[in-house]
Amino acid sequence: MFSFLSNFKHGQEMRESKDEILVGEIVRAMARLQCPAIGFMAGTGEQNVRFKPLNDPVLHSVIITLDRKTGGSALQQAVLGSKATITIQAEVKNYLADPDDLINMYRTDIANIFKVPMLGDVRLDHQLNSILATKKNLIDIDAYILKGEESAQRLSQLLNGVINELRQKLAPYKKA
Amino acid sequence: MSEELDQVFVGLVNQSWKHYNEELQNTRMDDLLVGAVIASTVEQGYALIDLNSDGTNHYLRFEWLQTRQRLIFQLQNLSEALVTAKVLGRRARVTIGYGENVQNTGAVWSALKAEMKSGFLDAAEPGVITCDADLTASYIYVQVPLILDLDQYFSDGWQVNYQLLQNHIYATTQALSKYLRGRLGA
Repeated sequence: MFSFLSNFKHGQEMRESKDEILVGEIVRAMARLQCPAIGFMAGTGEQNVRFKPLNDPVLHSVIITLDRKTGGSALQQAVLGSKATITIQAEVKNYLADPDDLINMYRTDIANIFKVPMLGDVRLDHQLNSILATKKNLIDIDAYILKGEESAQRLSQLLNGVINELRQKLAPYKKA
Repeated sequence: MSEELDQVFVGLVNQSWKHYNEELQNTRMDDLLVGAVIASTVEQGYALIDLNSDGTNHYLRFEWLQTRQRLIFQLQNLSEALVTAKVLGRRARVTIGYGENVQNTGAVWSALKAEMKSGFLDAAEPGVITCDADLTASYIYVQVPLILDLDQYFSDGWQVNYQLLQNHIYATTQALSKYLRGRLGA
């Protein structure tokens, strides 16, 4: 009886921990891409990790936010699966910001106020000497965890693909 | 003349960023350690199943999903101030625990008794192995506090020596699993 109950609890615990398992896989995948994790923020259902790309001529940091939408209960898991949004934000930092830059940024920011980004769109924002590009995707957590090297490679391709796309969008804003 | 002055100004800005980044890196040291422990442990085959923090201590829990063996970590940066880090080096108090799922209720009760006895030990001293039991999940853990020199894992430019960290975690968990097996009489 004791063993049966402990198996039931373990299944529930594993279902609830799927977003943490994915966060662990993301941290490992980014470490393999030469981007160590340098900041963690965890809330209920939402995890936010900041990474530092090493030797990257354009990017100063990458922030990945995982927001779990479904799959917390056995019923949701069976009907909807474990869906989450993964938001990847890349940051370019210019080490000297002058007033002309700020005026240009202000124009882009006003244009952005009226832009509602759809899933898969890239949005650009400015914050003083930082320029940020953001892309949000809806994913099935199960596709990226618990399948050994196969799911690790799939996750690595997803992250690398989005980061490369954001890097290309941001490259024109990087000052020498 | 004007170009020379421009260069001096650019030099001052660059130097300011260097100081700023040095301070930033030191304040981010505990997060860098958390990330390095996660990457190293997941690379060994464990899955991260819990991650939380009270602001000072950071707690991580991993599970080897096939065998249900668990690793737990409590991490605390001991050199948050840059002066301390520069003078003494960067150090962290790291408690590493190893746990196994035990179906035998007798073994769990005996671990609970050991946990009571562990309460009388000064577990703040490094190298003291204590016992713990999680009745709801039927796990028995043994854990040991260590003080680690972080300079050996992290260089100045955010580089991480994952291989060395992995090696140190593996050596510690091997020792703890031997101790636990001895206690369980396996």
